[in-house]
Parts: sequence; structure tokens; C-alpha cells
Amino acid sequence: MTKEEANAPRAARFLVSGPPLLFLVVFFVVPSLIMILTSFRFPGEFGGLAPITAPAGAVDGEYGLTAEAYQFFFSDILYAEIFLKSFGVASATTLICLVMAYPLAVLIARSEKRFRNLMVLLVVLPFASNFLIRIYAWMIILGPESGLSHFINTILGAFGIAPVTLLFSPFAVLIGMVYVHLPFMVLPLYTNLEKHDPSLLDAAQDLGANGWQRFWRVTWPLSLPGVFSGSALVFIPVLGMFAVPDILGGTGDILIGNLIKDQFLGTRDWPFGSALSIMLTLAVLSVAGLATWFARSATGQRAA
Amino acid sequence: MMNTRCTSPAPTASFVLLLAWLVLSTTGCARQDQDIVLSSKENVLHLFNWNNYIAPETVRRFEKFCNCRLSQDYYSDNEEMLAKLSAGATGYDLIIPTGNAMDTLIRQGALKPLDKSLLTNIGNINPAYLDTPFDPGNKYSVPYAYTLTLLGFNQEKVKSLGLPTDTWAIIFEPKYLEKIKGRVTVLDSQRELMAAALKYLGYSVNDTDENHWKEAANLIVRAKPYWAAFSNTGYIKELAVGNLWVAQGYSNDMFQAALDAKNTGRKFTIGYSTPKEGAVLALDSMVLHRSGSRSDLAHQFINFMLEGKNSAELTNLIGSGNPNMDAIQYIQAEIADNEAIFPAPEMLNRLEMLRDLDRKQRRVLSRLWTEIKLR
Repeated sequence: MTKEEANAPRAARFLVSGPPLLFLVVFFVVPSLIMILTSFRFPGEFGGLAPITAPAGAVDGEYGLTAEAYQFFFSDILYAEIFLKSFGVASATTLICLVMAYPLAVLIARSEKRFRNLMVLLVVLPFASNFLIRIYAWMIILGPESGLSHFINTILGAFGIAPVTLLFSPFAVLIGMVYVHLPFMVLPLYTNLEKHDPSLLDAAQDLGANGWQRFWRVTWPLSLPGVFSGSALVFIPVLGMFAVPDILGGTGDILIGNLIKDQFLGTRDWPFGSALSIMLTLAVLSVAGLATWFARSATGQRAA
Repeated sequence: MMNTRCTSPAPTASFVLLLAWLVLSTTGCARQDQDIVLSSKENVLHLFNWNNYIAPETVRRFEKFCNCRLSQDYYSDNEEMLAKLSAGATGYDLIIPTGNAMDTLIRQGALKPLDKSLLTNIGNINPAYLDTPFDPGNKYSVPYAYTLTLLGFNQEKVKSLGLPTDTWAIIFEPKYLEKIKGRVTVLDSQRELMAAALKYLGYSVNDTDENHWKEAANLIVRAKPYWAAFSNTGYIKELAVGNLWVAQGYSNDMFQAALDAKNTGRKFTIGYSTPKEGAVLALDSMVLHRSGSRSDLAHQFINFMLEGKNSAELTNLIGSGNPNMDAIQYIQAEIADNEAIFPAPEMLNRLEMLRDLDRKQRRVLSRLWTEIKLR
């Protein structure tokens, strides 16, 4: 092989992978670096950031770099509590989404080919209207004068249980989160399940496996990549979500996303907001790392 | 202060808009440049204003009066306005910020001083609204309108439960809250809610003593289980349809809620009143931005808005407070007589304007606020 022949595919590979790589550098690496730098600076008097170098004639010096934001983060157990709580909500949302999406994805994957595209279309149809509008609609559905509230409270009343309010509660936040993120779980699961060879299930049946065994020993292990990518697509955005708890949550439903948003608007404390974002990124990365490790060891075991 | 206008979207929405704006700002600048080219041919006054903060007939009359065009851009809270300006938005002749945001603009050196000789109608402004700590001597600003942060309530419900409506106690004291559990909202604003608690405890809204803050936070945490939610805009609709019975909110939003309840023929009425302990007054003023090119038209506009008739139209439209003494005669009697919009002189002394906190205080208050939310 001559040198030119070896270079040609490399150039082609660069041409294909270059633009997305550039995109990642410009829109992920650079902003992350900016954020890291921001988190080590002092907040400005009017919001924004204090200048790095003291302007001429400045009296008191709060310029340059500082780890103050991180000290503040670790000075109070409060922030760790919010992180834990947010991870709890994200895990619950992911689990509920998985339980709800799996049967739906199986149904779509096993229905006739001509219906599949229509069903997938129906799953993504909610994206056609704005996400905030759909969340506001839940305010009406869960409101105290809604049919749903009346129905639930009539049933509870029959058993002598005091009426409950659905709106402005952790329950409402969870509903909103699941509702928004469900399609992100359905789609990767469907893409995975659609590729399964139906003859594998026939073979399992021939070998005497009952319905549960066919699912648990054939379909489920094969669908694990879909489960993992769906879970990541749900878990990570939920961690950063602030609109749903803002709109549907009650007086105690603050999540890490709300806290970060507050730092940039109400409190105008960019360094602390950036420090929180970085801590969140680190937490997400370690969870993702752990999940990958689990996935690898789980599939590894089966291979052995 | 955030979200004082009845039409302002939720803070989340404004945040999204802000992000979108930041992304699209390059195209926005292009458009502005175009406007500036146009303005050399025709007379255009660029006003950076709150949503729904000038009556359409006032705009029409001003355009006829000055033989120019009034071009408006809008914001829904002060932070958004400041963020746009600090991101480099230019070409605005006039802005209408709230006191503490104006303070920031003055200290940044972003404003042009006024030429008082062109403002012949300035005597119409009630002296009580002049010479604020934000702009001593009104070198830069002329008051435009104001809102109060007060209590709105379902009149029939509150009366039948025998609850007082003239005190912050109704949102802080468990003995009253027991009867309206889950039917109360308070503002989702660190400064506004703390201000109410501080006022109820007998402190100033601008008190920065950390012990007083802790006392106020304890009061809030004790009352929190009885509240349905923190709400900055949602309470307007919820009060008007009868889901909420008591809410802390802005006077012009309460005006809107009362109007909505009346227009949809509800069996109850929405009342609102200023608690006797005092409350926050948010005064919006007209100021000249340094980047504007038409100070002549800007002064004409200010003087035009100082005429009672023009100023009154806004109050008749959105129920905003009006600092213009000449305007009272043009304001509908039921608004002019409403003490929650036009406070009695003895109440005026108990109203305070929020001043900005420094960065350390902001961080401490934010932690206290997070703690309040989490507990």
C-alpha cells in the first residue's frame, strides 16, 4: 500500500468526523471551560463578574481568582441535600418512565410494520406544541376544580379519607417530569426492540420457556443497551430541569435546576451558579461512569 | 424586583426568552442598525418598556403630537432588561426601570442627566415620589407609575371565615392559616417575601441584620406548610377562578384578577389591601439611556407623559399607581378611591422601596432562601 492510499481514508474520515467534533469543541468544551473559569471568579457588584484585574484607582481588592464559591458549597450540608433530592427525583422519574415505556415500545415493535411509523409519530406528537404550554395544561388537569381531582377525592371520600390536593405537590412534579420525558425512553427502547429476531422467542418457546422466562432471559438482556440509553436520556435532563418544579411544585419542591437558575437571575451570583453546575456535571459523569461499569460487568457475566 | 407586571410570563419563561435572545442577539443588532438608519430619515423614539405599560391611545396621541414614531421593545423583569443592556443592546432613548435597577444603571454611568428646563410639567408629580434615595434630586429620572406588594383575597370567603385582611398576619400566623390551608400563595421572590416577613416583625424591608433575616426565615418556615405554592404570576388566574383565597402579590395584578372575576361573572369578588404594617413600593421611572440619539424626542415624551390626561390612561388600563397629581381627575373614580392603589398619606410613610443588596448579602440571603424552600 502506498502512502497516498493510506492517507485517503484518513482524510475522508476527518471530513466526516470533523464537523461534529468541531461542534462538540465549540458548544461543549469551550462553554465548559468558560464555566470553570467563571466559578473561580468573584461576582460583580451588579451581577455578572468582577474584573480579573483591578481597575486603576480601585480601593478594595476583590479581583482575580478564588475558590470561594466551592468553599460556600461545602460550608453547608444544605446543598448536598438538594443534590440527593434531585438524584432521587431523577431516579424515580427514570424508573417510572422505564416501566411505562417498555410495554409501549414492545407493543410498537411487535405490531404490523405499516402501523409502526404511525405509532412512533403519535409518541413524538406532543413535541409539536411548546413544552411550557403542555406543563401549564397539567396545571388545569391537576387543579382542585378539575374532573380528575373531583374523581379521586370522591373515591377517597367513600373510604373516609380526607381530600387531597394534586397540584403544587411532589406528586405533580413527578407527573410532569414523567410526562415530558416519556418519549425519550420510548424511542431508544423501540429502536432496540424492533431489531430483535422473533425467531429467538420461537426457539426459546420450543425449548420449553414460558412467557415470563422468554421475556426475562431473551428479550430483556437483548434490550439492555436500549434501557441504558433511554435511562441516560431521561435521568440527565431531569436533573437539570427547573421549569416543571417551578410551575407544578409546591412550597418544598426545589431541585438543583431551580437553585442554579436562581443564582443567575434572582441572586445574580454567576460564580456560585457555575460552581453548582460543575458539581452537577461531575455528579452526572460519575453516575454515568458507574452505570457503564455496571452495564459492562452485567453483559460480561452473561458472556462468561 | 422581578415580575411586577400582570402580563409578565413566569420567570422560567423569561429565562428561556433571555437565553433565546442571547443566542439571537446578533440578528437583533442587525435589526437595530437598520432602525437607526431609518431614524435619520424619519423621527423615531426608541422606548425600552415593560410589557403592556403604555395605553395604545396614548401612543397614537404622542405620535401625532411629536410628529414621530414610537418604537418599543419590551421586557418582563428588571433583571432581563439589565442583562440585555449589559450584553450590549444599544439605541434606546428611554427606559422605564424600577428603583433598584435604576440605581444600578446610574452607578454604571449608563444614563444621561435630564434637562429640567424642557420638562415644564414636572410640577405635576407628587413630591412624595420625588427625590428617592436611588436618584437624589431627580438628576436622571422622572416617576412614571408604581405598584405595591400587598394582599389579594376572595372577599366572601375571607369574610365568612372571619379573617383579617389588613395585616400580613393572614399569611404568617398559623391560627389564621389553619382555616385557609392550601388556598394561599406567596411570591416566589426572595426579596418580596422576606420584605413582608420583615415588615410583619417590625423591621425595615431593607434591614440587612442577619439575625433579623433568620427571624423572618423562621416565620416563613413556620407558615410554609399552610401555603399552596410560591407563585409570581399563576395566582392572578387562580384567585380569579376561586381556587385561591389569599395571595401575596402586586397591586396591578390584583386589579387584573378582580377585573377577570367580575367580567366572567363569578359569584365572589376579589379584594386587595395594603397591610397596616407596611409594604414594598416599586416606583418605575423614565430615564434616558446613554446609547440613545434622540434626547429631544425623549424629553418631549417625558413631558407629554407628565400631563395628567396621558398619565391617567395607563392607570385606567392596568390599575397601576400614579404619582401624577394632575392625573387624578382623569382616573375612574373606583380606581382613584382605591386605597390599595392610591395609599392614604399615613400609609405612604409605611411603604418602602427595595434597595439592592451587595454580593455577600445576596449570597447569604440566597442560602437562607434555599433553606426555606428545602425545609
